[in-house]
Amino acid sequence: MAVHERVKDFFRNELVELQNADLFKEERMICSAQAADILVKYPSGAQPRTVINFCANNYLGLSSHPALIEAAQKGLQERGYGMSSVRFICGTQDIHKELEQKVSEFLGMEDTILYSSCFDANGGVFEALLGEEDALISDELNHASIIDGIRLCKAERHRFKHQDMKDLEHHLKLTQDRRFRLIVTDGAFSMDGVVARLDEISDLAETYDAILMVDDSHATGFIGKTGRGTHEYFDVMDRVDIITTTFGKALGGASGGCVSGSKVFIDILRQRSRPYLFSNTMSPVVVAATIKAIQLLQESTHLRDKLERNATYFRTQIKAAGFEIKEGFHPIVPIMLHDAKLVQDMARELYNEGIYVIGFFYPVVPRGTARIRVQLSAAHEFEHIDRAIAAFTKVGKKLGILPEHPHVSKQER
Amino acid sequence: MSYSDSAKAHFAAELKSIRESGLFKEERFIESPQAARITVKYPWGAPSKEVINLCANNYLGLSSHPEVLDAARAALEVRGFGLSSVRFICGTQDIHHELEQKLTEFLGTEDTVLFPSCMEANVGLFEVMLDKDDAMIADRLVHASIVDGMRLCKAQLYNYKHSNMDHLEEKLQETQACRFRLIITDGVFSMDGDIAQLDKICDLADKYGAFVMVDDSHATGFMGRTGRGTHEHCGVVGRIDVITTTLGKALGGAAGGCVSGRAEIVEMCRQRARPYLFSNTVPPVVVAATLKVLNVISRSTDRRDKLEANTRYFREQMTRVGFDIREGIHPIVPVMLYNATLSQNVARDLYGEGIYVVGFFFPVVPQGQARIRVQISADHEREDLDKAVSAFAKVGQKYNILGKKKDEIIATYGT
Repeated sequence: MAVHERVKDFFRNELVELQNADLFKEERMICSAQAADILVKYPSGAQPRTVINFCANNYLGLSSHPALIEAAQKGLQERGYGMSSVRFICGTQDIHKELEQKVSEFLGMEDTILYSSCFDANGGVFEALLGEEDALISDELNHASIIDGIRLCKAERHRFKHQDMKDLEHHLKLTQDRRFRLIVTDGAFSMDGVVARLDEISDLAETYDAILMVDDSHATGFIGKTGRGTHEYFDVMDRVDIITTTFGKALGGASGGCVSGSKVFIDILRQRSRPYLFSNTMSPVVVAATIKAIQLLQESTHLRDKLERNATYFRTQIKAAGFEIKEGFHPIVPIMLHDAKLVQDMARELYNEGIYVIGFFYPVVPRGTARIRVQLSAAHEFEHIDRAIAAFTKVGKKLGILPEHPHVSKQER
Repeated sequence: MSYSDSAKAHFAAELKSIRESGLFKEERFIESPQAARITVKYPWGAPSKEVINLCANNYLGLSSHPEVLDAARAALEVRGFGLSSVRFICGTQDIHHELEQKLTEFLGTEDTVLFPSCMEANVGLFEVMLDKDDAMIADRLVHASIVDGMRLCKAQLYNYKHSNMDHLEEKLQETQACRFRLIITDGVFSMDGDIAQLDKICDLADKYGAFVMVDDSHATGFMGRTGRGTHEHCGVVGRIDVITTTLGKALGGAAGGCVSGRAEIVEMCRQRARPYLFSNTVPPVVVAATLKVLNVISRSTDRRDKLEANTRYFREQMTRVGFDIREGIHPIVPVMLYNATLSQNVARDLYGEGIYVVGFFFPVVPQGQARIRVQISADHEREDLDKAVSAFAKVGQKYNILGKKKDEIIATYGT
């Protein structure tokens, strides 16, 4: 058999296995802009219908905010569409520098370097800073991009148990002879909607003289009193050395990411970080709109306040309806169903009720912890949330997750 | 701050040594859209001036093309700014599928999947396709993103000497026991502008039952008679199993990349490629603008033809005034200076003459092969090229390198 046929056969089998194991990912086609109400064609070929979106990282509702669209239009007009270059050849506009300054100011850091994505920022940060004399100490549930960045770095690798401060301390003790140690954690963990205990982690970093890095992709713009992120929430804004974050979620959601931190780190990254040196500069349209997003957040906390109210309201109502959720305050609300098939049935039934959510199951989350991950947005009104609660309740009863008469059972309790 | 002063001191010392060895990269600030002529502030704080840009990957002059801008504007209104999602959650619009289909048609492949960048396409691809029973056989000079992708893949890694078919064949013989062998090459190598011998590579792949992956980032849109890429140029359309390429150079230059090729491999990328699953979808504005780009270059070959004519003209003129350039037909024209300091001095003086180019030296190119890398665009007019050639001639005369051969330049300036 010719190699092409052999290869095709091999991968065809792999794909069938994925389908048989219910692990095949299907994409739903959206025919509108990202928003609370979106127009979706699903399954492919079906008539488009309007559903309420509860699974976007559009936390602040900025993805199609008129002020951002206007800034993007202006960016296109004044700065063109693409730069067709990496930063250091001919891909740096004055607005790139302006955005870097704005981000530094917003996050309370010395300096900032932009990347095409936070995936690239995490992919390029470790190798540029650390060598084989050093150690990386990473929360076991950190994002895939951090894991890939660590795989590309020669430093000794240590994993501490998720949010386990004793285990973190154990690894800090184990690595005392290393030149530098870097502790890395997500600020907010995307599958559980829980935040890292940055107060305790920064204490440990200080005690053991380690560098502290936080990926705040699911926090920048809305966690903390003025939305600066997890470090603001824990009042450790001057104790985190490096923050990586994305412009692809709360801050407009198109693309781009950054590393923010001490100037000396950022200077090194500009000289050495491979995704910075070998991948395109951020496009002017994204730079212009992101500057506007940050400006909006500096002017008013209205959007993050609304998001907080929405998250609290949804969490209260869904619990009252009888669902088990992971406790917390983050707009990521995991509704625990524990069974992979059940979450997929639930997501499908909810779609029929006009609610767009996705089931998450092994290998994305541990076996036996399958869940629907709901994500709230400042674009949602209470009316959207009420409709979602009603749909969850209806489907929950239909699938036998909720008792038929919840009020009775509550009184009995 | 929790990290020790020693860490800070360490990195400060590293920066100092990068500066002292003349390897520090400085950025120049552009105040205009990307084009043949741009407004630049350099160094930071200096007054702005208009210069001719000879170092962008804006090969087809589409980075600020009016039709492309119109498509981008319209998409912002109808499809919004961001999708705030990865593809498989809620980041797929119908236009993403449309673009994937159009790219498939354009490249003459079976299917295509978009990535946020070609860097991420290359980083994610190999791990999806290959395992420890397999072999990656790569040209020694492939792009950094391919190198990173290979570092993340468990397959055994073999390198063959740059474009050396005998050495490639040797490696194919050495790896006969492997389950799958993948030959990996750039279509066009970005530092030299030389073209992979895809016809011979495909013949060897057939002979040894290997398959072929090409990164065509410096070719898609303009290499080959209708601009499909290096595979068209070499007459092997349909014989390349996987093509990766970028939307960030000739095809508009904003962002985005893709994997295009055998349908099953593309589908496996959708299911398993980590940058696809864990990084944002390509924003609607980029998708819509790229659709327009494909439309523009499919309906006429005017732009690639003009680029070809510009390239030929510039190469002839530079040779005529006495520069040592790497022979070839690609719009990347390496002007060889061999010495790192000389390449920086020439670039600085050219900037003074209104010509924006950058010197390339170790570690970006091998030691002793410093150069100015000129990149021609379809946006350039003859007048721009004439002005560039006379500026080069003036600066070349100042450094007394016109008509000088490699040995003579090295004798004067060293490596």
